[in-house]
Amino acid sequence: MNQWLDERLHISRLNDKFLRKAFPVHHSFFLGEITLFSLIILIITGIVLALSYEPSNSLIVNSFDPGTADKPNLIPAAYHSALKINAMPFGDMLRRVHHWTANIMVAAAVIHMMRIYFTGAFKKPREINWWIGMLLLIFTALTAVTGYILPYDNYAYNTVKVVYGIAASIPWIGSWLAQAAFAGNFPGEGIIPRIYGYHIMLLPGILLALTGAHMLLMIKQKHTQPQYAKRIAYKKIVGVPLLTQQTPIMLMLTLLFAGIVLLFSAFIPVHPVEFFGPPSTTPIQNIKPDWYLLWVFGALAIIPSFELTIFGGIIGSEFVGAILLPTVVIAAMFAVPMLDRSKDNNYYAENPTNHPVRLAIGTSFMALLIIMSVAGYKPDLISANVLTTGNANTVLWILMFVVPAVTYFATIGIVRGIRALREADERESLAHSTAAADD
Amino acid sequence: MTRYRKQDPEMTRRRFINAAMGTTATVGIVSLVGVLGTANPVFRLTRDKMPPVEGDVLVHASASKEGEIIKPSELSEQLIRAWPMGKDKEGNNLIRKGDPNNVLAVFRYPKGQIVAPTNLEATIDGEIVAYSDICTHAGCSVSDDDQQEGQMKCPCHSGQYDPKRGCIVVGGPPPRPLAQLPIKMDGDKLVVAGFFLENPYPFTEAEWEARKEAVKAQLA
Repeated sequence: MNQWLDERLHISRLNDKFLRKAFPVHHSFFLGEITLFSLIILIITGIVLALSYEPSNSLIVNSFDPGTADKPNLIPAAYHSALKINAMPFGDMLRRVHHWTANIMVAAAVIHMMRIYFTGAFKKPREINWWIGMLLLIFTALTAVTGYILPYDNYAYNTVKVVYGIAASIPWIGSWLAQAAFAGNFPGEGIIPRIYGYHIMLLPGILLALTGAHMLLMIKQKHTQPQYAKRIAYKKIVGVPLLTQQTPIMLMLTLLFAGIVLLFSAFIPVHPVEFFGPPSTTPIQNIKPDWYLLWVFGALAIIPSFELTIFGGIIGSEFVGAILLPTVVIAAMFAVPMLDRSKDNNYYAENPTNHPVRLAIGTSFMALLIIMSVAGYKPDLISANVLTTGNANTVLWILMFVVPAVTYFATIGIVRGIRALREADERESLAHSTAAADD
Repeated sequence: MTRYRKQDPEMTRRRFINAAMGTTATVGIVSLVGVLGTANPVFRLTRDKMPPVEGDVLVHASASKEGEIIKPSELSEQLIRAWPMGKDKEGNNLIRKGDPNNVLAVFRYPKGQIVAPTNLEATIDGEIVAYSDICTHAGCSVSDDDQQEGQMKCPCHSGQYDPKRGCIVVGGPPPRPLAQLPIKMDGDKLVVAGFFLENPYPFTEAEWEARKEAVKAQLA
């Protein structure tokens, strides 16, 4: 049968090209795989959820609490179907798995990128894959945001209102753009069908295509080799082949990962739609976006109020905080491979302590994002009496500059310390070896 | 290559194909843009989407009491959310909640506490005042401030307003104060006395003027 298949499908070629792909043996290389498995779990659970979801914001009678004939209890069909999904056997569990996996996918992608950055794996020839990875990160976040609008409870309603407001804040073209993206003035009759289209067709399609390209390039260019590979076989690919050694490891990882997600979902509830209730004019106190967008939220909370009019376009704090600032941050991340001028191809994962400046910039960048996320907790910090309404902005603005700076110099200092220790060690072992030779 | 380019009076095959492909691509893109144009549906100003107009009665907006007419005795320094209720073409009552940006915030303070820049002529006896309840920053509904008595705070990005001073911005990112709505008493009802004094969210000044004209033209 092997031969029969081979003659038709050229399995041996596939085998040589793809199935024998060598995987480096190091746990940090599993982060990308976790991201991939998350995507697969998300697609499977998403398909099952889509079977029971009604993508419409038309008002229908709530079958769980119909009200009276002259005053029926009307709620959006999408919200109603979310309630129905929760009432299904394992329906709530399915929603939780989908939600948890989405969070883990973003987290795994972020840590995966940190691994790439700190070990220099973005260097020539892998720049293109860094950029594809950035696109994957952006589209993953967009997919997640459109996903938590779909239940169309009060939380989703407030979220989409802010997202609409942010889109509309772009000078000159903003209101047209927001209306085109969200099917008319907020909240248009077609807003949920529109976002449903984005969430289940457009964005997953983009994610799958980018993932495919990402992995093809990875197979073509090979992983960076861990440092031990340099010692055992210089400039040779070291690792275990996809088939058959890496596959059982991957399967094990998938099962372990799925198990952990199920455990999380069983015990930690996410997004209780019943609690938030249908869309209403009553705002939700201390509403916050998911953790990966908290930094933008924090920036908006501490940015001062202003409005400039330039050639009829209005530039306000919202545009600067929610569009301009993230664009600058994302552009900086895109630019990472261009800051490296090496002409040679990079084979080996670098030890971060050998590149103290890169390491320090990375840690202080993360410290900045963390402080901005903390700024997202401004109201909570004020109500906990940590800060006052008067000083909150000043303190948070100072922290935004001081903490990254301190992190930068602390990192450089620690790296110097590590190096000094290492050099001392080397001198010592050298002294001992020469002493031994003298005998 | 030769020094002399061959002069061919006829179009080469390559040129023809390039031109044909270019034309196809142009026509294709133009028609795609045409199709995408339909992504942005036309806005129709229906009566339930109109901003509060003169003569509208203020009714409760909270889910439990929605549609009940607000009595002055119910008002206090605590924010009460209200919808403007007007008439449809047949003269039946119609709550203008087709546009959620129509939601209002109504307060009542002891005399003398409401000061400039609030337009005192647009309040009822300098005691009852109404504002748009939509934050001018990202369009969230603004609440009472749980940390500072007598102020308003937007839960979305911590925008803060002072309702006793014309809802000026006292903290956070909002660019403009909340728009004040002129109101008057009509028996025991609170009635809208005219359009918002400034442009409410999401309108710019020019858009707001245009909207006012459109509403006037439609109701005339």
